[in-house]
Amino acid sequence: MKFQLKNILAVLAIAITMFSCSNDDNEAITGEGNLKLEFDNTYKTADFAMNTNYTNSNAEVVAVSKAMYIVSNIVLTKEDGTTFTYPKSQSYFIVDEATPATLVLNLSNIPAGNYTKVKYGIGVDKTQWEAGATGQGDFLAKAQTAGMMWSWSAGYKFVAFEGTFTSSTVSTAKQFKVHTGQTGTDYNYTEVTLDFPKIALVRTTITPQVHIMADLSQLIDGANKISLSEAATVMGGAKLALVTANVSSMFTIDHVHND
Amino acid sequence: MKKYALLFLLLFQLANATEKDSLNTVNPFVKYHSFLEEEDFCDACGCSASGGSMGFTSMLNSNFVGIRYFNQQYKSMDGLYSNSPWYKENFNTVQAWGRIPVSETVQVSALIPYHFHERETATGNKSINGIGDITVLAMYRLYQTHKDSTFLVHTLQLGGGIKAPTGKFNEANSGSINPSFQVGTGSWDYLLATEYVVKRKQFGLNFMLNYVIKTENQKNYRFGNQLNYAGTFFYLYEKNSFSIVPQLGFAGEVYESNYQHNQKLKNTNGDILFGKIGLEVGKERLSFGANAMLPINQNLTGGNVEANYRWSINLNYSL
Repeated sequence: MKFQLKNILAVLAIAITMFSCSNDDNEAITGEGNLKLEFDNTYKTADFAMNTNYTNSNAEVVAVSKAMYIVSNIVLTKEDGTTFTYPKSQSYFIVDEATPATLVLNLSNIPAGNYTKVKYGIGVDKTQWEAGATGQGDFLAKAQTAGMMWSWSAGYKFVAFEGTFTSSTVSTAKQFKVHTGQTGTDYNYTEVTLDFPKIALVRTTITPQVHIMADLSQLIDGANKISLSEAATVMGGAKLALVTANVSSMFTIDHVHND
Repeated sequence: MKKYALLFLLLFQLANATEKDSLNTVNPFVKYHSFLEEEDFCDACGCSASGGSMGFTSMLNSNFVGIRYFNQQYKSMDGLYSNSPWYKENFNTVQAWGRIPVSETVQVSALIPYHFHERETATGNKSINGIGDITVLAMYRLYQTHKDSTFLVHTLQLGGGIKAPTGKFNEANSGSINPSFQVGTGSWDYLLATEYVVKRKQFGLNFMLNYVIKTENQKNYRFGNQLNYAGTFFYLYEKNSFSIVPQLGFAGEVYESNYQHNQKLKNTNGDILFGKIGLEVGKERLSFGANAMLPINQNLTGGNVEANYRWSINLNYSL
């Protein structure tokens, strides 16, 4: 009996010793790391697919063939409230559903830290546009190639959303185009701020990936309803401000990986 | 006798080894940000300490070595979209196990699993295989009534054990896919176990409860602590050298949330309750067992994982 008790005590002692081990995670946070912003397009709650029928709340059935938007001016906020502004010259991206590689923005040389939110613009800010053609760096050519410019004087397309639709009054599939950008009265660049549901731990050894859901249906079927039956081409006028208002609420963060 | 037992165990291990080579092994549990750890249920100790087969062996003879195969069927989805596809997951484990007495009241159990798991993905089947986490568990018999003196015979055992990270934890799987698609947790885990058996003539009830405390692995990932419980009603029929034990019961698991870098991961906790049915047949020192488990109620990883069924067979040799 004594012998058994000894055994038990030995096992317990070992167990307690092992429990007592703890990692010292408080090493100084230094250096630079990377962070990825992943844009995952959805249509309402469904995983978005090109040329697939989706029904809007106004009973219009849309099939989207182009979904592109410019993401710019990324600012990350740390736990302590300080911010890191991604270098402006590198902070313009074109997210294109048709090109998977563009859906993940790889941000590099970010100071290691605990980040709690991200802010970015949709479109190209006015200051940048006013810097003139030479002030655009290589982004101008990129946007032209991607078809995200009207003309230099008319400016960039911030969002390009195209496809076909049918409705109660439009029985054969008809093309629609929704492009946002500046108009005579509104500039229509908008900013989005999203809190991370979990801290993004940027380290030399950890590259957080922020999974952003972009609900494309919000563009025309958000707080502001845009009837395609009424006008299938939305590229100017007062409606652009309504679409822009919708843009600012189409993004949510599903989760953050710290791998 | 012990020599024979060792020989027997060795033979099974060899058989197991050849089986490994001939099977396509894939690892099955993949989910987005949710990690569940079903596959570790059994190697963690759930099955070994559960009422089913252990209850039987402890009736005829509490000490044995053997080999067991178990299969677990799940389906899971990433939970990102309303139209996320469901993918099938098929977990297989071959386990050498034994319960060996070290004294009158203390028994030591060891479980050495080999996993071969597979799961469907959008880009075809994925598989993982390899030796899993080895568990060693000591049970101490705290109380036992004398068989001839009482109406009911009670046995109460308490114990503790350690699960070593002998299985490989793959961080890549834990990130973008279901973290439970692993052959090991990569961590030293500890378990506390208790088993209570009450018998009246040929009838018996076996209850077991155990709690697995999981620690952070080298990749700063920590699986949630896990509570396992089971209750089994059994009947012992004996004739000549034959014994047959039909069993009916329930088994449940409760998972706490997983953590990565000390941050809680959403949709990683959950619980499940199974109904189970089994049969054990013994002749002299050999016994064969089979049992099946069907879920009664479940909520795993925010509904992103569903267990379909589990079944197992085992062959034991009494020491």
